[in-house]
Amino acid sequence: MQHTIIFQPSGRRGLVEEGTTILEASRKIGVDIEAVCGELIVCGKCRVKIMEGKFQKEDITSSMKHLSELDDKEQKVLVRKDAEENMRLACCTKILGDVLVFVPEASRTGKQVVSKAAGKIKVKLKPAVRKYYVELPEPDLHDPVGDFERLEETLYKHNPKMKKLTIDYRALQKLPDAVRKGDWKVTVTVWNDAEIIRVEPGRIAHNIGLAVDIGTTTVAGYLTDLNTGDVIITESMMNPQVRYGEDVMSRISYCMFNEETGLKDLQDTIIEGLNTIAKQASFKAGFAIEDISEMTLVCNTAMHHILLGINPEYMGVAPFTPALHHSVDIKAERFGINILPAGNIHVLPIEAGFVGADNVGCLIADKPHKRKEMTLLIDIGTNGELVLGNKEKLISCSCATGPALEGAQIEFGMRAAPGAIERVKIDPKTLEATYQVIGNTGWSDGEKNMQAKGICGSAIIDVIAEMYRARILKKNGQVNHDLSSKRIRKNEKGLSEYVLAWSHETAIDADIVVNQKDVRAIQLAKGALYSGCLIMLRRLGIKKFDRLAVAGAFGSHIDKVAAMVIGMFPDCDLKHVEYIGNAAGDGARIALLSTDERKEANIIARKVEYVELALEDDFNDRFSEAMQFPHMFDKFPHLKGILSDEDVA
Amino acid sequence: MITKEKEQELIGRLREAVINYKPADAKKAAEEAIALDADAYTMTMEGLAGGMEVVSEKFDTHEYFVPETLLCAKALYAALDILKPHIKVQAGSVRGQVVLGVMQGDVHDLGKNIIKAIFEASGWTVHDLGRDVPLKRFVEEQMKTDSDIVMLSAMMTTSMVGIKKLIPMIKEKNPKVKIMIGGAPITDKTVSEYGADITADNAPNALKEAMKMLEALRKGTM
Repeated sequence: MQHTIIFQPSGRRGLVEEGTTILEASRKIGVDIEAVCGELIVCGKCRVKIMEGKFQKEDITSSMKHLSELDDKEQKVLVRKDAEENMRLACCTKILGDVLVFVPEASRTGKQVVSKAAGKIKVKLKPAVRKYYVELPEPDLHDPVGDFERLEETLYKHNPKMKKLTIDYRALQKLPDAVRKGDWKVTVTVWNDAEIIRVEPGRIAHNIGLAVDIGTTTVAGYLTDLNTGDVIITESMMNPQVRYGEDVMSRISYCMFNEETGLKDLQDTIIEGLNTIAKQASFKAGFAIEDISEMTLVCNTAMHHILLGINPEYMGVAPFTPALHHSVDIKAERFGINILPAGNIHVLPIEAGFVGADNVGCLIADKPHKRKEMTLLIDIGTNGELVLGNKEKLISCSCATGPALEGAQIEFGMRAAPGAIERVKIDPKTLEATYQVIGNTGWSDGEKNMQAKGICGSAIIDVIAEMYRARILKKNGQVNHDLSSKRIRKNEKGLSEYVLAWSHETAIDADIVVNQKDVRAIQLAKGALYSGCLIMLRRLGIKKFDRLAVAGAFGSHIDKVAAMVIGMFPDCDLKHVEYIGNAAGDGARIALLSTDERKEANIIARKVEYVELALEDDFNDRFSEAMQFPHMFDKFPHLKGILSDEDVA
Repeated sequence: MITKEKEQELIGRLREAVINYKPADAKKAAEEAIALDADAYTMTMEGLAGGMEVVSEKFDTHEYFVPETLLCAKALYAALDILKPHIKVQAGSVRGQVVLGVMQGDVHDLGKNIIKAIFEASGWTVHDLGRDVPLKRFVEEQMKTDSDIVMLSAMMTTSMVGIKKLIPMIKEKNPKVKIMIGGAPITDKTVSEYGADITADNAPNALKEAMKMLEALRKGTM
């Protein structure tokens, strides 16, 4: 039996089978609802309001009774979230009759401000895809040799390296028309000096490719001129897989729990996303999507497997074995990616189960293995990856930071979208806060409405650092109730919290607070990073590094002083902290522009030694010590004047 | 013969050493207790377990977090290692036996170690299988020890899935055994879906629930 469901405010409607959850229905109908915890009835971000009554215009009678019963678990989450009347969690509420559902602002995924700007790269151009303009001798009855052989011979004369070329099936189908349409003057696109992938009539100068960085949260595509290496257009979007869970683990488990369709759902979703990026980027640049002759991709290992339709289950559990390390080349057509059908999709190699092609991208962009100085490279995304070493040796590890640093698992956490608090300052004397909001200029003054909705990742780090500096947080992370401020209080359940924005300053009609649980989530995440750094240093037998390279789009927004104040990484001279931007994406561009770099990527991916942190005997101890602010024992001489003396020396 | 006052003093010192995570103090107090022939069981229960109870309360009220709890557990073990060989088997004790381990494919054992400390401090016998434990090891260990409760820990959704397979394997051999599961991804929904008996969101609650289950088991009401 089918029922009608209507989502407001988008007004989208559809028929769904009885027993479908509201969240499933929203995906089917194309309405975005947050599902941060991966449908585990934990995060409560998928709250929706059920409209009661007969809706004439929509021609349905909607009722709370048309839904599966509320159970204890859901009830608890709703109570914790102070949900108003008629609220339900979309992830677990089943549709048993017609309903009209209102998706509140706070539950919508919303358009994110994505800033994965292309960095400057240095690379010697040697793309896999090249275009050759050739003029063929016209056939006649004395020389009736086939079009392909004619083309092959001409190309060989043109460039003796191109011997024994093959031609892609799709290119072959178009060959006879193309050569005649061009009056035997054609531009031939050749991949790796080995295969003809396109023949176009006349002289075509442009040669473009697309480098893509598939992040857990955002996807960025760089449409690149293969002749010059320049980025023509940067196009980015939310990773559409976010609908199935915010972090890697929840997506892997989605595949595991939905054996029949899970992997396919996720794979289709990302391929659709890649097609959207390719289409938008080529359209904006004035090209056809088929003009993109090659695509290079970087992503973490889980995204890699899902993209390739490989079961990610085994890389998701110890010993975290990936299906393969080596880079993969697959025809776009086989993949369902709508660039040139014969075009190649090059997926960069991976290092280990939790250190993926994105990290290899960082390595070929930053090249720590070519440097004499000791580099500590931190790529902060939804997961944290560390690489330490120099030209002698490189080691890597993965830190289970979780998405807390990006604002997930935080009561008022949100992505970097309009309405997100992005910078915070707290006066250590008055304990008053002032902050900046994306999409709204100037600092808050405690009076005017800032239209704030939540706190994004960079501000989480700011606010925790500021709270610690102002002693609102003790060294062990506990909220300090010895201080007197109306901003420091306990909620009705006894949970300590600090009010960052008063209700009248927000767009959500509630105080935006940072609570004790949020602080704990950050402590776990930053403790994981810091202890990772320490164990890596110890593994190489060194005490310090010469250079700290912070990668990741999110990393670029972090205030480095704040990051060190909370103890995300060991003490170092802040002058040696370098933001290297979205190095993973830069790596994808480098691979797009150079086959030599692709070879190097394969070599380096196997050379980096992976360290499994949790297997270190004293990991739990080091991890625990690193959970305090900035660290239980370690001192931070470079924060002199910023932190109190006990933390400095 | 040790005086009542001295006994109380030692208990107090053990408690404080655990609460304030001072392993050296804990060790010293335990050695003194043994030298004076104090009752090791009383020392353990009232001193160490009593201290750990306060730690649990502090954890509940967010005064303590993982690092402090872990340090308290260390102080506890410093004393427990000394006291344990001197504990005489208690007649009519309601302390039970548990098999404890982290699921296959998972190497995160911080939570498991805290559970172990709290249970051992309360006089339970804990058969700790460690981490990344193959499923059948749990079944074998339960059979071998005839433990009352099997406690399974998983910190990743991916390793949590193994619990679903494991529970029928254990219950098939011994339908009476109780299964408690815990770890970051585990919810009440997991408990019902996987056929476990219970979960708890932290170590002190795990102990409370285990005590309840054990009493019911002993009374034959479960």
